[in-house]
Amino acid sequence: MTNKELINIANAWFQSKSWKAFPFQHKTWNAFLSGKHGLLNAPTGSGKTYALWVPIVLQYLKDNPAYKTKHQKGIKAIWITPLRALSVEIQQATQRFADDLGTGLTVGIRTGDTPQSERAKQKRQMPDLLITTPESLMLLLASKDYDKTFKTLTAIVVDEWHELLGSKRGVQMELALSRLKTISPNLRIWGISATIGNLEEAMDVLLGTDSQFRENSVLIKAKQKSKIEVRSIIPKKIETFPWRGHLGLHLLEEIVPIIKASKTTIIFTNTRGQCEIWFQKLLEKHPEFAGEIAMHHGSIGKDTRLWVEQAIRNESLLAVVATSSLDLGVDFAPVETVIQIGGPKGVAKFLQRAGRSNHRPGEPSVIYFLPTHALELLEASALKRAVKEEVVEDRIPYLLSFDVLIQYLVTLAVSNGFFPKDIFPEIKNTFCFQGITEEQWNWCLNFITIGSQSLQAYDEYKKVEVTADGLFKVESRQIAMMHRLSIGTIVSDSMMLVKYVSGGFIGTIEEWFISKMKPGDTFVFAGRTLELVRIRQMQAQVRKSSKRTANIVSFMGGRLPLSSQMSKILREEMQSARLPDGTTENPKRNTPELKALSHIYKRQERESIVPNETEFLIETFKTREGYHSLFYPFEGRFVHEAMSSLLAYRISLLSPITFSLAYNDYGFELLSDKFLDIQTILDNNLFSEEYLYDDLQKSLNSTELARRKFRDIAVISGLVFQGYPNKAIKTKHLQSNSQLLFDVFRDYEPDNLLYLQAYRETFEHQLEEGRLRQALARINSQEIIWKQCNKATPFSFPIITDRLREKLSSEKLADRIKRMTLQLMK
Amino acid sequence: MIQNLEIQNHNFKLHPSGAIFWEEENMLLIADVHLGKVAHFRKHGAAIPAQAAFKNLEKLTEISNYFQPKTICFLGDLFHSILNDEWHDFEKWVEYTQAEVILISGNHDIIPTYLYEDLGIKVFDELVLKGFYLTHHPTEVEGLFNFSGHIHPGVRLRGLGRQYLRLPCFYKTLNSLILPAFGNFTGKHILTPSEKDEVFAIVEGEVICVSKNKKL
Repeated sequence: MTNKELINIANAWFQSKSWKAFPFQHKTWNAFLSGKHGLLNAPTGSGKTYALWVPIVLQYLKDNPAYKTKHQKGIKAIWITPLRALSVEIQQATQRFADDLGTGLTVGIRTGDTPQSERAKQKRQMPDLLITTPESLMLLLASKDYDKTFKTLTAIVVDEWHELLGSKRGVQMELALSRLKTISPNLRIWGISATIGNLEEAMDVLLGTDSQFRENSVLIKAKQKSKIEVRSIIPKKIETFPWRGHLGLHLLEEIVPIIKASKTTIIFTNTRGQCEIWFQKLLEKHPEFAGEIAMHHGSIGKDTRLWVEQAIRNESLLAVVATSSLDLGVDFAPVETVIQIGGPKGVAKFLQRAGRSNHRPGEPSVIYFLPTHALELLEASALKRAVKEEVVEDRIPYLLSFDVLIQYLVTLAVSNGFFPKDIFPEIKNTFCFQGITEEQWNWCLNFITIGSQSLQAYDEYKKVEVTADGLFKVESRQIAMMHRLSIGTIVSDSMMLVKYVSGGFIGTIEEWFISKMKPGDTFVFAGRTLELVRIRQMQAQVRKSSKRTANIVSFMGGRLPLSSQMSKILREEMQSARLPDGTTENPKRNTPELKALSHIYKRQERESIVPNETEFLIETFKTREGYHSLFYPFEGRFVHEAMSSLLAYRISLLSPITFSLAYNDYGFELLSDKFLDIQTILDNNLFSEEYLYDDLQKSLNSTELARRKFRDIAVISGLVFQGYPNKAIKTKHLQSNSQLLFDVFRDYEPDNLLYLQAYRETFEHQLEEGRLRQALARINSQEIIWKQCNKATPFSFPIITDRLREKLSSEKLADRIKRMTLQLMK
Repeated sequence: MIQNLEIQNHNFKLHPSGAIFWEEENMLLIADVHLGKVAHFRKHGAAIPAQAAFKNLEKLTEISNYFQPKTICFLGDLFHSILNDEWHDFEKWVEYTQAEVILISGNHDIIPTYLYEDLGIKVFDELVLKGFYLTHHPTEVEGLFNFSGHIHPGVRLRGLGRQYLRLPCFYKTLNSLILPAFGNFTGKHILTPSEKDEVFAIVEGEVICVSKNKKL
């Protein structure tokens, strides 16, 4: 059959459903059938699944014209999805098309949830299409004769590639693809991505650096002009609206009419803790919602989550309070309205959430923005502009992640074993490891075989062994099993299962939260009040309680920083609202958000100033807590984290001093028990970009950032074993282990690549060194305004009350201790 | 750098290594060395630098040279695991040291007693000496002052400007003292002292009392 005839078959099927294929679908079919690789840029709910599944099926029909009578054995395609929850949806869609065409093709799912019996069956005979996650794919590469299994592959589709790209799961995917390219000669590689700033790079990362893949590839963009309307919820009495906070409960009553007026509403919160609290408070204030609202977040049991998702589709719910667990994937047609609580910090995330509502063509998606404190109104105003101007962020891929490489090499050694001369060229062709040197490669090989860089007498180190003919292989069954249990790159805080004494799983919560409690204590989780009965291994056994308690479960979780795109717009918005001479109204202050903020601006102008684009503001004042110095670069919390460490370090070189650091998305604070003369900072040119890297590295030694990064690296690279299922070692053990390891490497093996990687990741991903450099350059071109204030200003308030803090000191530890006090039992 | 302490008319020196020297008995008390832990991890595929293991024995040698004790008493968890190659190095160390060696057995000490006894080390479950009670697990007994280990005590200190620090410490209550872990590849467990407790933190080669002579 010719490609044209094949495509006609697909068109006929679309007609039978009274659909019409979109141009981007046609383009993708043609590209695929002519043997191309590529990246498809299309949003959720646009028909992206059929854009790639259709040509995979058509290719099969072409290869096997007798398909109606004779089924060709062997797996044809793998569909990678980052979220298990999406797999069922994909299975239904793909199976339907395969069945309607009478192809006899089968679709199977393999994720962590797949029962053992099903997996064993798949191992004997793979389905034609396997829907799986990056981790489960790696596990398949860890099983014997994986090369025979995958020989027949014609396509691998990586769905939601933008979600994987900026994470180590992306690196894991790159490595798996590098292997499949060799063992599956007919492989076509395709990715599907939502809109991000660096789509071209996303394709480079997916396809790797070998020319035969890059030259034969294509980037296809689905036309998407979905209108989004942003409406801010502006407090009626802005004067009493708080200056700080992140919950936003003050405006709870404002969203009630919105919920009541629409069919189904999703209320997005930024953290699981916030989600729990909002759900609780909504029910408390409006008991009439009982049974009509639900909650959805990543720590709630899977069954409950599935039930909620189904209920949204059935239109049986009025509202769902959710976290990013509902950002992705499945379409919920009945969702009419979306409410975002608190700043989403990035445009892409906000767009994604807005896109969850109202898929009726021609009508705009409406998203309400509820600020949690006054200055967040600025963010609302900035978001509106970002949406209008279609600004989207980049996803930065990881480079040289040796921890993932080491895990991957052991994976290969567990299954068939490998010869380094075969694998090195494959690795070298990935985007992540294009810069790897032969030395670094040998380092990794030594690491997995002798556990160091030189052979030591009497050493009992055991992991990968090298056979006489040079095959790298894991021989010990115990090590192989431990490795299979450790495959993956998501290192989460230690979780405890929450179960009823009588049986019945409720969800998982972080160990530290439970460890604070005694049996008999009550807490609120998943919308229920529970009493802790006992802790058995890694299970918290609970029973329902009728007591009232304010102890709502909370989670550690990182706060997201403002993206650089958002920061820039935010700065512009802030400045546009400035009063030129501090008294008259600025005609440019025209958005309703900025109007609402005017009293805060006035207050800020009275106590200090609102800086314009040529000014950099520094404020100092003293409170009971010590001497506060505040700096406002408006660059997002990661950059502020770095800049505060850098500045504190440079100041501490001038004279011994200790700082406690705090930062938010707008600025940062150096708090000290001694007076800090800002003039010395200016006189000594401490915002200089010179020696930035060196200074940062030294300041970081004290701030422990790298130590925290090392925790993940230690787990991924297999230095720390997280335990057998149901026999879990408590993570206090793991925590101190990786902390301890970090110290041991610092003291005895400071050139260890994994140890150095912790620093590199800190610079590239945590501190965003590039952005920091630009910010310093900007500050150096600005006029510095130092205001000595009498008390906390509106801008400073959210920062000085932040409880997440770092410290930095150049004083001798012993001297500091003498001024400290012991935490005593209350 | 050393902190002197008088307990029941006996004199003790708290050393920043985590050891205690008992002057009247000419005895060195050391808790939780966890020898063999590094080798144990390496055997299970975790590539911890092997040099870290030698450091423990170096530290033991340094401290016994410094005090020249008649007796060295280990308060349990001397060896972390089953026999491995670190045992050979330990054998050499025992041969080298002039002092008599005693082990109060701890929960990690699963190596058969006769192996210790072959090296001339006496092994006890507990020991009562001049009104002092030496154990691995902290144990209260009427009329005796208890020295123990097991806990790996540490404390959290708070300063102005919301600074926090966690340090290993000697932890003294009215009738007992818990030693910090001596081994360099061991963690610590943060305790919350009450007002009556005395805490001696170890900081950069110094032992500093962080509870006494302070307004609490």
